[in-house]
Amino acid sequence: MAMRDTAIVAYSEVKTVQKSDRDVWEIGAEILEDLLNKTGMEKGEIDGLCLSSSTTGAGNCFWSQTTADQLALEVDFCQTVDIGGCSPTGALARAAVAIDAGLCETVLCLFADTAVRESGQRQRHYQQEWTAPLGLLGPPTSFGFITSRYEHQFGLDYRMLGKLAVAQRNGAVLNDLACEKLRTPITIDDYINSRMIADPIRLLDSVMPCDGGSGLIVTSRKNAEKKGYKKAVFPIGYGEKTSFQFSENIVDVTDTGHMPAGAKAFKQAGLTAKDINSFHPYDDFIIAMMIQLEMLGFCKKGQGCDFIREHDFNFGGDLPLNTGGGQISVGQVGLAGGGTNLVEAVRQLFGEGGSRQVKNTKNALVTGIGGIPYNRNWNTSVVMVLTPNG
Amino acid sequence: MVTVNDTLNIERGAPAARSFSQPYWDGTKQKKLLVQFDKSVGKYQWLPRATSRFTGRKSVLEWREVKGEGEVYSHTLVYRARPPFQGKEPFFIAMVTLPEGVQIMGNTVGITQEEMKIGLKVKPYWHPLPDGYHMLMWQKA
Repeated sequence: MAMRDTAIVAYSEVKTVQKSDRDVWEIGAEILEDLLNKTGMEKGEIDGLCLSSSTTGAGNCFWSQTTADQLALEVDFCQTVDIGGCSPTGALARAAVAIDAGLCETVLCLFADTAVRESGQRQRHYQQEWTAPLGLLGPPTSFGFITSRYEHQFGLDYRMLGKLAVAQRNGAVLNDLACEKLRTPITIDDYINSRMIADPIRLLDSVMPCDGGSGLIVTSRKNAEKKGYKKAVFPIGYGEKTSFQFSENIVDVTDTGHMPAGAKAFKQAGLTAKDINSFHPYDDFIIAMMIQLEMLGFCKKGQGCDFIREHDFNFGGDLPLNTGGGQISVGQVGLAGGGTNLVEAVRQLFGEGGSRQVKNTKNALVTGIGGIPYNRNWNTSVVMVLTPNG
Repeated sequence: MVTVNDTLNIERGAPAARSFSQPYWDGTKQKKLLVQFDKSVGKYQWLPRATSRFTGRKSVLEWREVKGEGEVYSHTLVYRARPPFQGKEPFFIAMVTLPEGVQIMGNTVGITQEEMKIGLKVKPYWHPLPDGYHMLMWQKA
């Protein structure tokens, strides 16, 4: 596995806000400068650019090229990754592959979106024809289906979903970069009593759309060693699955692509779920994290609530989870929101978690969820294992 | 228990049909439920696609009429929606499994919050759309 021959040598994140007063390129420029400061690199050392999806850029068929132009980056490789919430971690994987293949040496991975300030999206999928005419709001409604079905098949203790919501909110209270509106503590009762959006999906199950951005500098392990970076994080396992079980009409919506993607990532990493020090699952809805606990083998299928009951997900707990608040308590940075989970994992492995630093930093597990298809859970699942040790 | 809107009062446009789904919409003019069928494997598929989800071959697809009697696989009661549904919540969206092995989503007519449950038997309710088309909704069988 050659992806591990690439190193994340710096991360950056701007404050998440409800609506940005700045252009998406200005956010990108701020992240670029911060990364140049942190790495001591000159701009000319960056010879690759890999972008997550961006709602703001979605109307531009030349997005990576245009962004390279705006930031004046002369590159040998540029790409926008369009797998929705999986696109930041997917961009990191593609950057690593491009470096390993010799297309380039050092990549700026940039995850910036100002979906609230400026949406450039013109959707073209099944929804206009088949679900918009039903009043389907999109993700909340789809997760309403998933939740109803999960409860029917296994039973569901909503207080355990609330426990995850509270742990994440505790992280956001300690995270200066989280959206201010979300930085007040909540209780399990607050979760249970929050208003219904798409019954049984509640307000506090859901992400709030926000603006912001994050980014990484990824370079070859060789270059990282040559430049003598003291801190580096390596992707040692990666799995990606799009259109899981799409050759069937009817699937169990409580099974997800994280099962095969996770198996692949763990196999490459030589680890299993019980070895994981901190978990940074994509969190568009609380129940998505519980289902991922099951799919990734932290517990058996249908036993997510029992697992949650038995573990502590705060930064000092036995399985720290989305220690900065996750997207639900930081705010969802549009289609770049997966960067929130990814960058927090890297921050923890760098030992820079500050007041929320986790104890065990041998590894971290990051995931993504992208796209909402018809009558199933999601389009793309990604799983990445990171380690500071290589 | 809240009063569930059957959404018949929502103004909807003509269908956003594609070249490969137009036969379905044409069928709705006669309140016929047409579903694609892959004759090479003997299986139905929903929603209408440009190709067979089973074999990746478009030439094996044909349209067959089905009765549309099925049962609820899952449901959600929507409290937040965009226009033209905004302010007219709550309403149901039900995902219904047909005996042909497909699932079709729809709004519901005359099903109360108390009655809605996974496994509920339902049948089509055809709601008029512009240009003579109809939209498939679900009512108790």
